[in-house]
Amino acid sequence: MGNCLKSPTADDISLLRGNDSQDGSEASSEPPPPYQESVHVPMYHPAPNISRPASQLTEEEQIRIAKRIGLIQHLPTGIYDGSKKIRECVICMGEFCVGDAVRYLPCMHIYHKECIDDWLMRSFTCPSCMEPVDAALLSTYET
Amino acid sequence: MAMEKRLQKELQALVNDPPVGIKVDADQIGQNLSEWLVNVDGAPGSIYNGEKFQLQFKFGSRYPFESPQVVFVGPNIPVHPHVYSNGHICLSILTDDWSPALSVQSVCLSVVSMLSSCKEKKRPPDNAIYVKTCSKNPKKTRWWYHGKQCYHSEYKTSLLGMSSMGINT
Ligand SMILES: [Zn+2]
Ligand SMILES: [Zn+2]
Repeated sequence: MGNCLKSPTADDISLLRGNDSQDGSEASSEPPPPYQESVHVPMYHPAPNISRPASQLTEEEQIRIAKRIGLIQHLPTGIYDGSKKIRECVICMGEFCVGDAVRYLPCMHIYHKECIDDWLMRSFTCPSCMEPVDAALLSTYET
Repeated sequence: MAMEKRLQKELQALVNDPPVGIKVDADQIGQNLSEWLVNVDGAPGSIYNGEKFQLQFKFGSRYPFESPQVVFVGPNIPVHPHVYSNGHICLSILTDDWSPALSVQSVCLSVVSMLSSCKEKKRPPDNAIYVKTCSKNPKKTRWWYHGKQCYHSEYKTSLLGMSSMGINT
């Protein structure tokens, strides 16, 4: 169906969309972190479930976000050629079309690049198997 | 937009091929698909067998990257240690453990399975305080998932407060 239409949206900066602010006052290191609802103010996600407008990010958070973007870009990408067993991107529930840009996670689950990058900025886990992407990545890319 | 496209697919799948005991009323769903009512049956063999419940789903524009808001509504709110009498549900996949691979169907099935594993009908221990003080949106509650127990953090805070005042709990 209509999934093959390319939408002119998100690149890696899709983290700039969505999510609202929190009262912040009670946000401590205690689990679980507060959860937010959506509003349409550009927000960063310094950690899963925490969002703040760019102006309110601490330097440490900016570094973490930059690192996260760097890590995401290390993950292999490819163009869907129809040869894979996985035929559907579980994030948008759309079937892959030949020519779609896809990203491979270390667990070998694949997603539309646009779909998974948006998620990875929030949580560095595979949506399908919940495998943390971090550990696998670090062992591959760090010396 | 992405959210509507995905919800359209989910709706189609649920209407065409609904799992046993789960039924969505497509006619009640508005144009933009942002609010659903799903009828859920208590599972046969569980203590909720024969009971009928209704779940309300509200989707934000960031769905599926953000979890939907899910509460029990209607005349029959299940009496369960993780379900408050106002319909709020303490279930980690609805907040911290949400994944975009989850769906309306998988959330409904998780809720049914949560109900099915219950052996005794009772409300959460902090029901009275919670219902009085909580936000309308359960996602605004800071839930604590402690094994089988669940508390919202205000309750926890009040417990901590009491012990810091020298009151043993
Ligand atoms: Zn996708
Ligand atoms: Zn995976």
